[in-house]
Amino acid sequence: MTKPVLIVGGGPAGLSAAQALAAAGQKVEIVEKEDQLGGAPILSGYAKLVPSGEWAKDAIGGMVSRVEGEKLVTVHKGVTVKKFSGEPGAFAAELSDGKKIDAAATILATGFTHFDSINKPEWGFGTYPDVVTTTQVEQMLSSGAGVKCPSDGREPERVAILLCVGSRDRQIGRTWCSKICCTVSANIAMEIRESLPNCNVYIYYMDIRTFGLYEDNYYWDSQEKFKVKYIKARIAEVTSDGKRLIVKGEDTLVKRPITIPFDMVVHAVGMDPNVDNMTLSAIFDVKLHHHGYIDKASTYASMSGTSRPGVFVAGAATGPETIDDSIAQGQAAAMAALAVARPALEAAE
Amino acid sequence: MPIHEKTLIRPENLIEHEELVLDGVDVSGHWSTFIESRTVTDYNEALQEEIAALPGGENIHRCWQCGSCTNACTVNAINPDFNPRYWIYLIRVGMEEELLRDKDIIWQCVSCNKCTYACPRDVFPEGVMKATAHWLELKGYTEKKPSMIFDEEFTEQIVASGKIEDGKVLRRFFQKTGQPLMQEWLVAMVRGLVFRLPVSLLMKMGLATLFHPRTSGWDRSRRAMEDYIDERHEADRKSLGLDMKSAEMGAE
Repeated sequence: MTKPVLIVGGGPAGLSAAQALAAAGQKVEIVEKEDQLGGAPILSGYAKLVPSGEWAKDAIGGMVSRVEGEKLVTVHKGVTVKKFSGEPGAFAAELSDGKKIDAAATILATGFTHFDSINKPEWGFGTYPDVVTTTQVEQMLSSGAGVKCPSDGREPERVAILLCVGSRDRQIGRTWCSKICCTVSANIAMEIRESLPNCNVYIYYMDIRTFGLYEDNYYWDSQEKFKVKYIKARIAEVTSDGKRLIVKGEDTLVKRPITIPFDMVVHAVGMDPNVDNMTLSAIFDVKLHHHGYIDKASTYASMSGTSRPGVFVAGAATGPETIDDSIAQGQAAAMAALAVARPALEAAE
Repeated sequence: MPIHEKTLIRPENLIEHEELVLDGVDVSGHWSTFIESRTVTDYNEALQEEIAALPGGENIHRCWQCGSCTNACTVNAINPDFNPRYWIYLIRVGMEEELLRDKDIIWQCVSCNKCTYACPRDVFPEGVMKATAHWLELKGYTEKKPSMIFDEEFTEQIVASGKIEDGKVLRRFFQKTGQPLMQEWLVAMVRGLVFRLPVSLLMKMGLATLFHPRTSGWDRSRRAMEDYIDERHEADRKSLGLDMKSAEMGAE
């Protein structure tokens, strides 16, 4: 039997890599820093996923239970990798609980961190309780509590979703597009309209980037079936008149300033590099690219490669990524890791 | 400092005091010029629903402001202020005052339907223009144009008898628009007809003027048409939240 493949991170990418490797008969060790597998969709309590419409706890929960039921997979929860050394085929990792793992290859599936809206204070998060994030709305929906204003529990009659919070903003050093927030926001807007038919939802945008098949299934449907309104304006500030939130900005299509009252303002938060990336970069000796995500080797030359041979990367650790693509990248990384873990496969036959 | 976007300043938003002294400084006339805010402070969420409830306006909520309609527009080519894309937006976000500023040009749509074929989202802008013109009329924002009065008289006669009688249409039209019956061009035309038309045809026309013959078996058609017109008027006014009493007036 060859040495196991070490997978760091138990989110969609890590789980799919583990599943793929186990299916190929390869032993796997998963190291997850939280006490629970599933990554952001589970830990942050996402509601219905794009594009399947399945609840996160069913879809990603299913991946978790399949991996946990897999004999070839060992899961270490609540621990991190502290030391890492060696070369392809012979890596040695030491965990925070003192355990040692010998691994043939490693896959970093360490994911991302949600942008912390407190870093855009002009948009009222942290100042007004009814300014929330897309993650919080996901939790309201997934917990069954429903969408309610945190300040007094009332059902909002008018909701504003602000796009690009923590994305495409040089002021805060986030020059990338987080890729999924437009689609997620359209999805959330539809869910709000469905559960609160008397609540009007406005999405303030700079561009709408519901790429690929999300265009009609999310952007168009949210307009055509759910009458969600899209306003081209980057909001200047969110304040309050003491009763409702006041959203200020410029409606660029009529070239007029707007100060519109809202019951709830939702920040469509972007995907930051994992806050642990500097540490991960030092421990695993992999380079980060200038955005702070884990740097990928040339896509054309090496599948899922990092700057260090034998250490692979998958999912949102490399940049903003969808769940589906993270799963695909997990499988790609599994393939690459398998090639390192069992190089003599053909020779053995 | 130069004023940018001067075109955005509206005369009614310019305030000037003829005589004003502030802290002992005379700032009379243009020294006291102040420009009032153009800020939009709320959305009228009923507006889109009202237009959508009128025939033609049903798909307005699909618009994503690409401008294909305005680019394709026949009238826009002649009058750049005729901008369907812009009005659709005003309706979508409920900027009613802004929309009313253009009430005298919205009806100028010639229904060529170039926009209908250009629109990537099937908004049916021509229908929206029609619904909007209709909305302006129902809400009483636009007065009836002579052409509309003519159309109404024409329609009423058709509904009543299945036929029109030219003389009556003209008489009633002049009466309703306060014009004299004896107009030079009309007198000349009638004189010309009398001299040139065969006597038998003149007799026929004379009899029609006197007895207003109806299309045979017209009653059932008339009732069906009246029912439909009433129903339509009632539905339109109901969707705009207008009372039924004025609905009867509107149907007349």
